[in-house]
Amino acid sequence: MLQKREKVLLLRTFQGRTLRIVREHYLRPCVPCHSPLCPQPAACSHDGKLLSSDVTHYVIPDWKVVQDYLEILEFPELKGIIFMQTACQAVQHQRGRRQYNKLRNLLKDARHDCILFANEFQQCCYLPRERGESTEKWQTRSIYNAAVWYYHHCQDRMPIVMVTEDEEAIQQYGSETEGVFVISFKNYLDNFWPDLKAARELCDSILQSRRERENESQESHGKEYPEHLPLEVLEAGIKSGRYIQGILNVNKHRAQMEAFVRLQGASSKDSDLVSDILIHGMKARNRSIHGDVVVVELLPKNEWKGRTTALCENDSDDKAWGESPTEPMPTGRVVGILQKNWRDYVVTFPSKEEVQSQGKNAQKILVTPWDYRIPKIRISTQQAEALQDFRVVVRIDSWESTSVYPNGHFVRVLGRIRDLEGEIATILVENSISVVPFSEAQMCEMPVNTPENPWKVSPEEERERKDLRRSHLVFSIDPKGCEDVDDTLSVRTLHNGNLELGVHIADVTHFVAPNSYIDIEARTRATTYYLADRRYDMLPSILSADLCSLLGGVDRYAVSIMWELDKTSYEIKKVWYGRTIIRSAYKLFYEAAQELLDGNLSIIDDIPEFRDLDEKSRQAKLEELVWAIGKLTDIARHVRAKRDGCGALELEGVEVRVQLDEKKNIHDLIPKQPLEVHETVAECMILANHWVAKKIWESFPHQVLLRQHPPPHQEFFSELRECAKAKGFFIDTRSNKTLADSLDNANDPNDPVVNRLLRSMATQAMSNALYFSTGACKEEEFHHYGLALDKYTHFTSPIRRYSDIVVHRLLMAAISKENKMEIKGNLFSNKDLEELCRHINNRNRAAQHSQKQSTELFQCMYFKDKDPDTEERCVSDGVIYSIRTNGVLVFIPRFGIKGAAYLKNKDGLVISCGSDSRSEWKPGSLQRFQNKITSTTTDGESVTFHLFDHVTVRISVQASRCHSDTIRLEIISNKPYKIPNTELFHQSPPLLKSELVKEVTKSVEEAQLAQEVKVDIIQEEYQEYCQTKGRSLYTLLEEIKDLALLDVSNSYGI
Amino acid sequence: MAGLELLSDQGYRVDGRRAGELRKIQARMGVFAQADGSAYIEQGNTKALAVVYGPHEIRGSRARALPDRALVNCQYSSATFSTGERKRRPHGDRKSCEMGLQLRQTFEAAILTQLHPRSQIDIYVQVLQADGGTYAACVNAATLAVLDAGIPMRDFVCACSAGFVDGTALADLSHVEEAAGGPQLALALLPASGQIALLEMDARLHEDHLEQVLEAAAQAAQDVHILLDRVVRQHIWPSPDYPLLQSGPWGCFSPNIPRVSWHRQGWYAPHFMLRTPQLQ
Repeated sequence: MLQKREKVLLLRTFQGRTLRIVREHYLRPCVPCHSPLCPQPAACSHDGKLLSSDVTHYVIPDWKVVQDYLEILEFPELKGIIFMQTACQAVQHQRGRRQYNKLRNLLKDARHDCILFANEFQQCCYLPRERGESTEKWQTRSIYNAAVWYYHHCQDRMPIVMVTEDEEAIQQYGSETEGVFVISFKNYLDNFWPDLKAARELCDSILQSRRERENESQESHGKEYPEHLPLEVLEAGIKSGRYIQGILNVNKHRAQMEAFVRLQGASSKDSDLVSDILIHGMKARNRSIHGDVVVVELLPKNEWKGRTTALCENDSDDKAWGESPTEPMPTGRVVGILQKNWRDYVVTFPSKEEVQSQGKNAQKILVTPWDYRIPKIRISTQQAEALQDFRVVVRIDSWESTSVYPNGHFVRVLGRIRDLEGEIATILVENSISVVPFSEAQMCEMPVNTPENPWKVSPEEERERKDLRRSHLVFSIDPKGCEDVDDTLSVRTLHNGNLELGVHIADVTHFVAPNSYIDIEARTRATTYYLADRRYDMLPSILSADLCSLLGGVDRYAVSIMWELDKTSYEIKKVWYGRTIIRSAYKLFYEAAQELLDGNLSIIDDIPEFRDLDEKSRQAKLEELVWAIGKLTDIARHVRAKRDGCGALELEGVEVRVQLDEKKNIHDLIPKQPLEVHETVAECMILANHWVAKKIWESFPHQVLLRQHPPPHQEFFSELRECAKAKGFFIDTRSNKTLADSLDNANDPNDPVVNRLLRSMATQAMSNALYFSTGACKEEEFHHYGLALDKYTHFTSPIRRYSDIVVHRLLMAAISKENKMEIKGNLFSNKDLEELCRHINNRNRAAQHSQKQSTELFQCMYFKDKDPDTEERCVSDGVIYSIRTNGVLVFIPRFGIKGAAYLKNKDGLVISCGSDSRSEWKPGSLQRFQNKITSTTTDGESVTFHLFDHVTVRISVQASRCHSDTIRLEIISNKPYKIPNTELFHQSPPLLKSELVKEVTKSVEEAQLAQEVKVDIIQEEYQEYCQTKGRSLYTLLEEIKDLALLDVSNSYGI
Repeated sequence: MAGLELLSDQGYRVDGRRAGELRKIQARMGVFAQADGSAYIEQGNTKALAVVYGPHEIRGSRARALPDRALVNCQYSSATFSTGERKRRPHGDRKSCEMGLQLRQTFEAAILTQLHPRSQIDIYVQVLQADGGTYAACVNAATLAVLDAGIPMRDFVCACSAGFVDGTALADLSHVEEAAGGPQLALALLPASGQIALLEMDARLHEDHLEQVLEAAAQAAQDVHILLDRVVRQHIWPSPDYPLLQSGPWGCFSPNIPRVSWHRQGWYAPHFMLRTPQLQ
């Protein structure tokens, strides 16, 4: 029985009048209390999570504590937290959506032991606000009252601690009820969690920064920035087209001056603006930080500015480069921020000398973020000196209009500057990747497979699943030495003469129950992260390398798709989806499969499965296998041809090759001539993904996860077209097919690098492939440009991608729906799925960035401490692939490095090359043309660099204390680099990245060993790290494709 | 803070109801002695008064008279003090005219007009306080007033609104929920047969969700019916068997309403009652 109350609110209208509003408020006797101690669990009708029963007390934070110390309440060590609805609403109303969403996620997260109690809807807990009572007092009173009720509701069996910042409340309520303690938050942490040092430090740091802020607001200097407009004005302005909404992207290379706003949503359609909007200077940026969703106002046309195309270094101040910018582009200023995307930032404290120069206020310190795009942050701490040599994590608290820099607080220490582990940790934090080892609770959910207690197929599963162990010849084709196999294939002839093709994927969802601890962890990670020297798995190794790996000769659970194909035309007649049990008969590697396909049977000695057989059965089995591989290849060719016929293109193969050569580690995996078997396996996987996408979409049109690849914007191809023209090629970018064809034709027989560069430019012009929820998009937008399929999803690698796990569950639900069985567990609604897709896309991007950054880190470490003048490897051949006003961008094929080389140095001297083609710096001027740049010295000498010219560059490392080190290139000759020994020149193999990594880690190791005088053999570990990244070529191709489609708009100051 | 959270993660709406629960309904019949029939209803904070005259001869131009059935004339007005900011004029604006037409359509579908050819039935509805779901409140009030006037009807007409937020259908929207701008559906139902007298929606809603919202509105209208039925019974035959309406169950119904045999009580049933199938 509900009770009705009325709440009277006084609101202010837009015109400023007060408005009396009466709202109903219904109270109910039973509100879920989510406590295991609840005396009437039936009445309270708990659903969702309960508080754990092994806590000594419950803690109820006051509204102020929730607002200010949410970060501390997020510590997983703090258990039994009850958030009162009153407090949550206070966060929602006063702290904005971002903080509120953080709180909501915390409440949803099953790993955190905290719940929400809807006290305002409970008839005994609700207290109407009294006349003249301030909101703050009322909130505290309500929370205390609810705490007392909760205590009695649990029959006084669990003491409750209410933590508050309100001294009066502590006085007033402290000893009012036995069993309900009211203490301050600091007191609580000191007494109950004396071991939790990190939390206490964080608490101090927050407290201090808050005090500073209070002081500051009292001082109130002159305004540094204009105030932001109120939200209603912004929204109205966006609607009317006066303002434009977009995401702020700071130019990494001119972080002080240039930022661009990428248009977002509907606003771009209405206005005729095609390009981004330039935000020039910090003042116009008005306190927004890279990644924020901002609202901008366009400036009048006569104030528009052009972007700078000169190369420049980050630390150099902007005055030096006042030279001719390009034509003016739309320029604007930020008038408001819709959504702040502040995250944790890695910063470096200034060194001692710098601190002194900063002057008077020693407690306030300006720290420099690792990311160039983030402004300096003001921190108040006493530990500045102790933290000098460390990379430190900070958070931004606020940025008042009176302050030049944002205020922040110190969170934790990562590691020493320049220390490998510290730098890797930096990369992880900067990409918001958190990888802690799997916890005990998570590992407890895992099945056991030890020699004493081997894992077996359970009889129930045997009944439920289709048993393919005897009926089908299942085999896998993977790179040599691969341990984790998540896809297998089968093909056979049916009784009616038709063929049956099967793709069998590891059944990860059988082991990972929805919303189990391991599932939540995997969802948070979303993908396996590969850094240059290590990887962070999405699932524990018991699953990824053992029970979910479809190894040869053992029984494994799988999810299978089987198509019945016409015997001659290979038309798909029927398709079957379902759970199966398989036993893979052969674990082939690519080369062996290709040999078998080519009819070269001598390879069988390399296949372990054939070794112990007698001649006769061996022959029979071999024939069977050869037939299967042959048939499979036939089918794949046919499917491929059909896809090509539908206007498909061979783009992904193309992209892969580009990236393959740049990312050297792949070079040793892929033979020079790609084998047809690769394509066969890839095609089968694409077919499986495509059919699964179709199936789940048909069953649940509005809530399935698919993958789209939007067609690229034509204007992004202009650079590619121009570059190709310089070499005399024409690139037709109108459709994916013409693009692929013209790229194939654009091949300079004398210089294979040209084609590679053109292809990499083409891939850079394209947008990312993304996951999305079908409810959020029109059906026409589902298209996958790269694969030319109308629907596509990821299904075939559930071990290392969470999206595939979601798709597996959807497929299972679709099968149950078809069989009129009830669907186990809840599917994600469209809204949740959209959020999940955003998260996974985000994580994938982070994974790509971290991989790239870690590679760069290793490159720098490789070249560091080498004297560039003497070391042979620091001088190399480079190709110019882009021209800027004061320099050129150079690609070094040997190391796969791209970088800028200046033709004009800081003193204004330009490069000149004498008769021996050695370069020198001399006074002179530069002249830039469309595809060449000429440097003329005052004494009349001139040298011209064309696009795709080969030059000799010297590689050195530019060290930086606050940021990552960068590679510097210097042109030392305008002739291609010749190694003195001509014999070597031809054979000089590209340096493999894995070797580079090995070398760097080794030297780091040695340094450590020298310090600690302790012999650790970690070599083996490196071997482990340097293993294959994906298990099959297909997964690898997919990965590379993702990489290739990476957004590189912010590279090199363009 | 932008946008109110209409449905919290825990499943509560802004005012503490759950998705399918109605607001509190209180009603009285026969509030004016002068009119042929009258009723007053409160649905939450929405308050409406309905008055019925007729059937009587056509007033004004005789040409309007229909040869085969009665003319239903509906007029809607809302008091100037009914909304948060005072209104200029109580009736005659576009919205009132539209509402009058909708009411007329609804009641033409429900009243057995062919029993009174060449005559007229006037229904006047006034909203005293508007807090969302005014159409539903008007229909429910008018139903009670028509019943009070003893005009034969096919069945009660029960109306309720429903909205759609985050994939969940919400029954009986309040003003706050309406103002948020989501889709809103108004449904008038003849509860015994489940026939729809009027269905109206003027926002975009995906076809696939319509069924869910319609289902919620229909369920809510059925719940309204149980309440109105009790109001009528209590009005005609006040009895201590029925608990006071003020504490009547709403939203989640318990079906333990005592059923009384009409004949045993020697009860005079007005003719409209005899036609409702559930009484036979």
